[in-house]
Amino acid sequence: MTTKKSAPKTTKRRSARTSISIATSQRKVPKERVAAFAEAPLAVCETDANLQAVLKVVRNKEEPVEVRLAAIDTLATAAFSVVAFESCRHDYIATLREVAKDPNAEIRESALGLLAGEKDGFAQEKLLEGLKDPEKALVPPEKALQLLSYDVHAESYEAARNVVENPPSEVARQEALRLLAADANSGPLFEKLLRDKDEYRAVRQLSASALQAINPDKLQKHAREMLLDSSEYEDIQATSLTALNQFGDDEAVAKDKLLLKSIRRMRGKAASAKYKRNAKQFLSKYES
Amino acid sequence: MKVEFQINNSTSPNARFLGWAPSPCRIRVTDPSGAVPPIADIAISCVSTATGGVVVFRKGTTGSFASTITLKVPTNGTSVPFFTAGRFGRPSLSNPDVRIEARAKLGLAGGPLILVGSVKVMVRVRKNAESLTAGERDRFVAAFAQLNNQGAGRFADFRNMHTTVSSPQAHGAPGFLPWHRAYLLDLERELQAINPSVALPYWRFDQPAPKLFTVDFFGVSNPNGTVQLSNTNPLQFWVTDGVQGINRGPRNNWVPTTQPGPTVITEAQTLALGTQYPAFSGLEGNPHGTAHTRWDGFIRQIGTAAKDPLFFLLHCNVDRLWAKWQRLNGRFDPASAASYDSNPGNPIGHNLIDTMWPWNGITGAPRPPTAPGGALASSPCVSAPGPQPLVSSSLDYQGSINATSRQGFDYDDVRFA
Repeated sequence: MTTKKSAPKTTKRRSARTSISIATSQRKVPKERVAAFAEAPLAVCETDANLQAVLKVVRNKEEPVEVRLAAIDTLATAAFSVVAFESCRHDYIATLREVAKDPNAEIRESALGLLAGEKDGFAQEKLLEGLKDPEKALVPPEKALQLLSYDVHAESYEAARNVVENPPSEVARQEALRLLAADANSGPLFEKLLRDKDEYRAVRQLSASALQAINPDKLQKHAREMLLDSSEYEDIQATSLTALNQFGDDEAVAKDKLLLKSIRRMRGKAASAKYKRNAKQFLSKYES
Repeated sequence: MKVEFQINNSTSPNARFLGWAPSPCRIRVTDPSGAVPPIADIAISCVSTATGGVVVFRKGTTGSFASTITLKVPTNGTSVPFFTAGRFGRPSLSNPDVRIEARAKLGLAGGPLILVGSVKVMVRVRKNAESLTAGERDRFVAAFAQLNNQGAGRFADFRNMHTTVSSPQAHGAPGFLPWHRAYLLDLERELQAINPSVALPYWRFDQPAPKLFTVDFFGVSNPNGTVQLSNTNPLQFWVTDGVQGINRGPRNNWVPTTQPGPTVITEAQTLALGTQYPAFSGLEGNPHGTAHTRWDGFIRQIGTAAKDPLFFLLHCNVDRLWAKWQRLNGRFDPASAASYDSNPGNPIGHNLIDTMWPWNGITGAPRPPTAPGGALASSPCVSAPGPQPLVSSSLDYQGSINATSRQGFDYDDVRFA
């Protein structure tokens, strides 16, 4: 049954050794070196010489930043092959820790991002330190909070609560709230934020998700109330409707005549076609 | 007279899904009144909308497909086999949007063809995420959110299958492509258990994706690398490991809605990596690994990649590239040396005769300590690859070599033959 069609000619590619050699050569232009790094990511760990040459580029502050970032990306790609990468891992982590304190912000952020994904204790310590003392911060507070969310624990919650109480910026506050969504004790905070019509809508949306995770019954109750409230914002009602549709008690919703009436009204009144469609889909599920 | 159809040799409505590969079907007379015994000539054809799915038919396992066939069906109830498939390039947009009809002449010769039976089906294939209708997109996203159920659903097993500890089962050796094919199929079947009209879309990482990276689909990254979603998008409730949301931000000033992934090799370059599997499997580095590391966030690292639903669309494209390469070079037969890398030094789980973890349930070195998720999900349409697939089961996914190997998925741009 198989039919063999004419295959294209094989692309002539440089050997992995040549690619690594070009990528790590300071005599080549940055653009060529960046491209060469992408050609042979799996060759990084083929020899110790390859690995050390790539790590040297990462560590060398005199190298162009885009080349150093490409070298980090190549290592990150090679790390997907866990077995082959095992012999490189120690030096890789040590180098990332070293450049986590690099003068260049992009290099720091890239290295700390990878270390955070590895649940690296050194990185967590530095991120927390920076939140407590902005003078020591290696990345902005919102990035630190996002990276700490890879491995949440009590100390991160404390740091996040401090940011919520004294936010250096709105984006940092929202990242702190995202982190606190993993904290079962934060239910009352998210209830308050969800029902506060003066609060940023993005925060109310985030609070709905957090509350659904922490206390689903509470979110379902609030979602219903917000759908019945004709003075509530349309976008928040859309979030409420999505919560009921996805996670609600189907039997209870189908019997809730007051709720269905309110959603019929929403379908008729909604300013946005998207919200109309959302209401229509909801009603088609629950109305017989 | 009345007839009954069996699609995928089943009367179950859940089995009424077709791809480009031929599905075995049967037809039988259930009420012979009005027919002239012992045989009725029954014409089978399809009715579809202008933009919906279209199916074609043939009588046997070989030969060309036609838009109409006529079968001689005994009036005593004995069933007659035939084959049907989606017409390449005409997948369905919703379930079901194709009707297969049976017509027969009753009474005198020369009379009109009378409708004696029909069945509704869907031509369900994996599509480019950019080509989905709003309805297809919304159904897919809702099913995915439901599978995750805020981190408490069955999706947690899929995340636990793809970790640093389990990586040797799936990466860095020839089984990379077969393992991920089984992984995607398992996930897709779980999504279809929630909504059978859903098929896994793919992300063409070598092209801009202006529809995928919107608030109504997989989100827009804010400057901090946190994904923003609309109030109608069920993924706004995405939670993994207790943490709300998705971390994903394009690196190095890349704009994924207008630019292809930087340094990611193109589809043409990938297909030209080589005509033998060992050369082609170099795609594990670039484009696969490179597509992962174009981003900051979950998808950049093996231990966290599967927390981002985009991971599955990225891998769906990797699998599509393999399928396309297989079609281009005729590489479906596990017995053919060029179809796989059967190096005697392959680690366990990477040889054609090996079972694949975690579906085999085997734990303890050299396999991982646990086997999350149990057996591979079954399908009402096909029996392959079975609950505990072998590496070799993944190759002949369309049933090109052996019809019973067909796994029930196809790509919108990869033909059956």
